Amino acid sequence: MIADQKTRSSKAAPAAPGVHPRRLWSVRPRSDREAGDAVVSNFLLHWFPAKSYRASLAWSYSFWLGTVSAALLLLLVVSGLPLLFLYVPSVERAYASVKDIEFVVTFGSWIRAVHRISAHLMVAAVFLHLVRVFLTGAYKNGVGRNQKRQWNWVLGVALLLATLFLSFTGYLLPWDQLAYWAVTVGTNIASSVPVIGPTIRELLIGGRAIEQPTLIRFYVLHVLFLPMIVGFLFAYHMWRVRKDGGLARADRAVASSEPRPAEPSPTKTYTLLGVARGTAPQIRASSLGSPAATVNSIPDLTRRAAIVVLGTIAAVGILAVFVRSPLEEPANPIITPNPAKAPWYFLWLQEIVTDTTVHIGPVTINGAFLGGVLLPVILLALLTAWPWLDRSPAGAAGAWFAVSRRRQNVVFLLFVLAVLVLTVIGTFLRGPYWHFYWPWQPWPELPSRI
Amino acid sequence: MEKRTDSPLPKTDRPILAIVGVVLVASTALFAWSDRQHDWRYYQFAFRGQVAEKLGAEKARGIPRGVAQIWAPELRRADRCITCHQAVSWKGFEGAAEPFRTHPAGPLKNHPIEKFGCTSCHGGQGWAIDTAEAHAPAEHWEEPLLGRELGEAYSLADDKNALLQINCNVCHRYDRETPGAGAVNLAKKLVAEKGCRACHVINGRGGTIGPDLTWVGDKAPEQYEYGRLSGQKSAFAWHVAHFKDPRALVPDTVMPNFHLSTGQAQALAMLALSWRRAPVPADYRPGLPRTDPQTPDEIADEQRMKTGPGAWFVQTGCFVCHSIASLGVKSPAQIGPDLSTAVEDTQSRFGRTVDDFLREPTGTMAVVLSRQIVLSPDQKATAVQKLREAFAEHERQKASAAAASSASTRPATP
Repeated sequence: MIADQKTRSSKAAPAAPGVHPRRLWSVRPRSDREAGDAVVSNFLLHWFPAKSYRASLAWSYSFWLGTVSAALLLLLVVSGLPLLFLYVPSVERAYASVKDIEFVVTFGSWIRAVHRISAHLMVAAVFLHLVRVFLTGAYKNGVGRNQKRQWNWVLGVALLLATLFLSFTGYLLPWDQLAYWAVTVGTNIASSVPVIGPTIRELLIGGRAIEQPTLIRFYVLHVLFLPMIVGFLFAYHMWRVRKDGGLARADRAVASSEPRPAEPSPTKTYTLLGVARGTAPQIRASSLGSPAATVNSIPDLTRRAAIVVLGTIAAVGILAVFVRSPLEEPANPIITPNPAKAPWYFLWLQEIVTDTTVHIGPVTINGAFLGGVLLPVILLALLTAWPWLDRSPAGAAGAWFAVSRRRQNVVFLLFVLAVLVLTVIGTFLRGPYWHFYWPWQPWPELPSRI
Repeated sequence: MEKRTDSPLPKTDRPILAIVGVVLVASTALFAWSDRQHDWRYYQFAFRGQVAEKLGAEKARGIPRGVAQIWAPELRRADRCITCHQAVSWKGFEGAAEPFRTHPAGPLKNHPIEKFGCTSCHGGQGWAIDTAEAHAPAEHWEEPLLGRELGEAYSLADDKNALLQINCNVCHRYDRETPGAGAVNLAKKLVAEKGCRACHVINGRGGTIGPDLTWVGDKAPEQYEYGRLSGQKSAFAWHVAHFKDPRALVPDTVMPNFHLSTGQAQALAMLALSWRRAPVPADYRPGLPRTDPQTPDEIADEQRMKTGPGAWFVQTGCFVCHSIASLGVKSPAQIGPDLSTAVEDTQSRFGRTVDDFLREPTGTMAVVLSRQIVLSPDQKATAVQKLREAFAEHERQKASAAAASSASTRPATP
């Protein structure tokens, strides 16, 4: 391979600057220049810097949760493509087509399981990624100039919402009882918004009942619009990471390894194809060359990225063999399963809705508005605006549990804990009529026809 | 010389990536292997063995392999049962153990497999290709295989295979008696004997004290109250217990206790569960009234024609096409000419007498009289006589009408 490279480069005319003779990256670059060239010349790797901060690559800093989310997104797209050929988005055929995918399509059951497991894991991974970013204060700007990490945080919140909505729209498609009633619960919560609630619900489901218009609406959102939105947001998210000078941890590494010089030091401007000239963040060049702080992106960053992406694929692939995707009875608007549950990631809200529904004598105060609308909207607004509300010093960026951010981290963790506890209760401990059942208490037997 | 910075990262990354790669390859092998794990592979192998043993290796080689299905488009059923039950239409496996048994020929005569599929009669999940999902009262599938196993689970009193009759009666619900459906026939007899219609509407007829039972089989299992039912919670078990002692399940019911035996109660429960709106095309249901009923006027007219002077023409079937106006017979179709003037008409149209024409008819009448209304020479003689009578009556009516009209117009002329 290397010998081949040598002969080719010796024969070829001297390359123009910026024109790179190799189209694939070298797994074992012979020099730092070759390592850098491999990144710059490669389309797949163009979003990586030539050199990365060693600290940013640490397993224990980011847990690589963003990469895990991206790998799951990749799996979702790849496993969704064959399903596009097999699934029929009509109320008459949807259920039967999913049955066929389950029973007779070669690898069909596995592909569907991969798609479903990836979707659930992606909701979890994106949420955990958000928790990590909050706890490390990574939405904070560090030492680089013109950093706008707070906007990348907003993009991240938008990505979380898009992920949730993608998962929710996919939930309806099998057109079984689970799908139908989860979406019924979900959209009924939306209708509890004062005044415009019923209109929102009607817009969402394309009518007053969940029917063919709902299915085609959810289907088109699920396979076309939401993936487009997620793809766009994801690209923007990654671009901003580069623009902001990498992970917040990198700023920290720069700040701590170099004593602050008295005079302005020479700076290097990073641009992306020159488009962002002038507004690109600037990082002091003296810290960039420090061999202890940085590593070549190839192969150190790419190798770890490969471990995470391939590891995620392998884990999901194995899980999909053992965890079968459920498919309940065909959707039946007349029979409500008991209990009727929203998708698991909304169960903390359903739990709050039922807990805040109070019966005082004959009067019932419905908790749907409080638990289903008001609380999530407030939480979401707080979450989005938090980077501007957080007044801690820049030094707290990129550090786990920074002392200056202790109070907000504790409050945030309490919220996370509450959401997790309510989700666990809603998922595992709620039985028929939303009664509480411990795991060792059997649920009442479900009746069958014959 | 350009320098190459050594990676300061731990050296473990490389082996970790190698391990991930191995796991990835292993997972690929795992899912490829798991996709091949199906019961039918074993059953098809075993059936080939049986055929080879009985009928020779040549026959065994010809057996198709892989997933197979029967597509009954009118019922929208794709039944993959024959993937394992390959012997269904083979001869010589009548005594073999399932899934290698030949299907009894009797029911298939009137219920060709390509028109009915398997699950429309037997229940079960036709989409599935593994035994557990295909047969069992599998989770999330409400149409279990109505076979001996389930019958034994319910300790059916008589025929352990009787549950299948529930599905027979989805189509045969308007039959008084269906051959081979003993339990359902018994239940239908009980419905008449015990006077269920005194309180319940069944098929549009009956009292209104109790609920309408016409589509009671569609009631979902979740809609029954199981609070007082001991044992298995199912719609069938509920009906059996309810038929045996209604008040035990519904304390304030007015339904009397008929002191039915277990077998009778089970038969009635099967009948009740069969009364459902299964999406079956109309021609799958025998006994369904498929004509639009006659109005009372039409019935009275027909009765008059049958007993009046033109009765012979009605009984013989001439009136299907011909009116005989002079005798008061009016054809519903009126395709042919009025026979009141047939005696004249045959002369003017064919140049032959009526006798001659009936003996050697031409045109349409040649076809009708040779296939549909075959008359003996005696009957033909009667026909000629009746036609002459009709003509005589026609002439008489014409004469009296002319007399009446001249009588009524005379005073008007000065």
